[in-house]
Amino acid sequence: MSLFQSFPRAIRSGGAALAVTVLVGVLGFVIFYPSQAPTASVPVAQPSTGPSSITFSQHATAPAITYHNPSKTLVPEGRTLFVENCASCHGVNAAGSSRAPNLQGLGAATIDFWVYTGRMPLADPTVQAIEGHPRFTRQQTLAIAAYVVSRAPGGPAIPDVNLGVASLSEGQSLFSTNCAACHTITGVGDALANNVYAPSLYGVGSTQIAEAMRTGPGNMPRFGPGTLSNFQVASIAKYVLYLQKPQDPGGLSLGHVGPVTEGFVGILLGLGGLMLFGFWIGGRAAR
Amino acid sequence: MMTQKVTDWVDERLGIAKGGRSSLNKIFPDHWSFMLGEIALYSFIVLLFTGTFLTLFFVPSSHLITYHGPYKPLDGQKVSEAFASTLRLSFSVRAGLVMRQMHHWAANVFIAAIVVHVCRIFFTGSFRKPRELNWIIGTLLLILAIVNGFIGYSLPDDLISGTGIRIAFSIVESVPLVGSYLAFFLFGGNFPGNSIIPRFYTIHVLLVPALIVALLAAHLGIMYHQKHTQYPGPKRTNRNVVGTVLWPGYALEAGGFFFITAGVLAALGGLVQINPIWLYGPYIPYKVSYAVQPDWYMGWLDGALRLMPSWEIVAFGHMIPNVFFPAVLLPGITFTALALWPFIERKITKDDRVHNICERPRDNSWRTSLGVGILAFYVVLFFASSTDVLANTFQTSLNFVLWFFRIALIVLPPASAYVTYLITKETQKNTAAGQRKVAMIISRDETGNYSTVDAEPAEDDIHPAQSPVPVPEEAAYLHHNGLVVGSEEQELVTVGDSNGSFTRSLESELPPQRSGGSGVFRVPRSLPGSQGGFFGGGPRRRGRGQRHGDQK
Repeated sequence: MSLFQSFPRAIRSGGAALAVTVLVGVLGFVIFYPSQAPTASVPVAQPSTGPSSITFSQHATAPAITYHNPSKTLVPEGRTLFVENCASCHGVNAAGSSRAPNLQGLGAATIDFWVYTGRMPLADPTVQAIEGHPRFTRQQTLAIAAYVVSRAPGGPAIPDVNLGVASLSEGQSLFSTNCAACHTITGVGDALANNVYAPSLYGVGSTQIAEAMRTGPGNMPRFGPGTLSNFQVASIAKYVLYLQKPQDPGGLSLGHVGPVTEGFVGILLGLGGLMLFGFWIGGRAAR
Repeated sequence: MMTQKVTDWVDERLGIAKGGRSSLNKIFPDHWSFMLGEIALYSFIVLLFTGTFLTLFFVPSSHLITYHGPYKPLDGQKVSEAFASTLRLSFSVRAGLVMRQMHHWAANVFIAAIVVHVCRIFFTGSFRKPRELNWIIGTLLLILAIVNGFIGYSLPDDLISGTGIRIAFSIVESVPLVGSYLAFFLFGGNFPGNSIIPRFYTIHVLLVPALIVALLAAHLGIMYHQKHTQYPGPKRTNRNVVGTVLWPGYALEAGGFFFITAGVLAALGGLVQINPIWLYGPYIPYKVSYAVQPDWYMGWLDGALRLMPSWEIVAFGHMIPNVFFPAVLLPGITFTALALWPFIERKITKDDRVHNICERPRDNSWRTSLGVGILAFYVVLFFASSTDVLANTFQTSLNFVLWFFRIALIVLPPASAYVTYLITKETQKNTAAGQRKVAMIISRDETGNYSTVDAEPAEDDIHPAQSPVPVPEEAAYLHHNGLVVGSEEQELVTVGDSNGSFTRSLESELPPQRSGGSGVFRVPRSLPGSQGGFFGGGPRRRGRGQRHGDQK
């Protein structure tokens, strides 16, 4: 019988518990500690623009968003693509049909958003369009947009967001006021009603974010120039891009969906783990 | 010896030897399910320690200030001092975030442990006479824990918890006749006002913890006085307790378990993020986030709010707010029925006997089935709290999920109760169900016949299937009076003989043997290897598994 075994079981348990505790504590501290550093930098899309505490005067000096329509030289290519892929529902002149809406006057931004996020061409017209891999290259997408714009002018052109002049803090405030009610405050998206959902904002670019706000795709409200200025739209885009890779100390993030996952971890891992330890110490009833 | 002198000095003035000795010899039964309440207790201690740390940095004020801190996305925004100080705790205070997260995880585990503890007490019938009072105290502790959890969750004044306070205000308002007065009284005016954060703070750090500590003391005191229940087993009767002696056995186990609990909570606090309030931003009444859930222990109430159909019920010419039924009436009925359950059951069973032996759940079909059915009801409500997250995760319709839970709320409780009833009836027939399996040696003789014999228990098997060695009357008497029996040599001999059980009959509590008037027990010189006094007596260096066995 070894010396260790000669100790009563209770002391062995206590000793082992102490060892485990110290180990876990040290591990936790070591892993946690780096995230304490307050110098962790905030990811900024264009780091060359300096600190993110940007004053409001700056958006007057440089335009936050520049809009441009795709080149008219792309119209022939766009016409071919449109007739092949879109006209069966939207009609050859993009004037719509009983199956699909009229696209005339919706602007290049609308076309670019729907096509370049992979929502169009639509697989199932009865459910909300799902974002996915785009079916067309960037130039093909612009060509389709150019063709639709050539049918009827009007509508927002394709925005080019200048993140450098945007304000992250302004974006946070506007996002929590205008976007969080559907997309959630962390941007993970959520189910809204019968087969309607607000998609996750992870994995979208600044152009698509601005296009969505300016055109209001699907159930999303349209935030026109009278509602949000270009600076505000650019700021929201900047904050959405920040949310995709936020400053996130505190260890493993649980999907940013709030207390639901936290509850499961607390009950299963926290209490469940402790119950296993309790089983180890307390054992089962003698028979 | 110095220790001896000090303890003698104290004892001659306070007379602690008698009570101390019998306290140290207190027997606690061993079972994993008896550790659930301990998890709650230790989580609460962790809550007190981490919470004290948090109070050093938290500013309970709704006063708006302009935030200029290390978290850039909120730079320059108007936030409350409560929110700003929580951000400071998370980003600037050394170990502040790990303390905050430990506190939050400890709260989640605390209430989870209480709930499972309540289930254990319920399903084993441990609330029966004489433990009704402790059951009521336990119910009050559960309510206080939930209330304090919700209030603590609300203190950082972030967007998600602020929405929770908004809902709480409406719930208070929904009480017929007095609702608006009650809500204005609690919030010091209309929502949101500037009073609720400081008021919540006082309730959270002073009022409710003091109540919890007081009730916890009563809870443990009554448990200590009444002695813990135990499961049926060899040599276990309604009038004894079989288990581990407090010192040096159970106290060390419990102490070790406290460190394990603190370790697990520290690991969660350090490794797993909880409540990243910087991503939520400050609470501003006109802002709202979707996918807002409360912490898990409020989930069943949130679920009830979600599942409640939008009926407008008019009584006496007044519309009773819809919220009243799921958010006021339901918890009211729940906690009232829970607190009064021992008396309700007593009314049904007419059982007025004293019960110190736990009932195995399968042995009481109707209570177990009823309990599972009721539990299923609350589990459905709990899951219904996450309708939107479930719909989003499984990419299905929110309405479908909602209706699924509405139907499940009605179908699942009776169905699970019925299935439980069948299982209990079935396992009752099989007396060996759940018992420890004994290893068998299968052998085959020359004629080809097989035969089986029980294998010897393994050397390190801590639960050998042997019956306990009864304690001789004399030994039990001496032991009870703080007198060590047997020499070191004898102890070593007795280790292998017993299976970890020591019986002590409550009936045999004989009058103590006093030497002089000081209350100090003196050990007769005839017993070798023994010492008197507070620390000297008792079974030294013996944990579970070593009790007095045979005396030569």
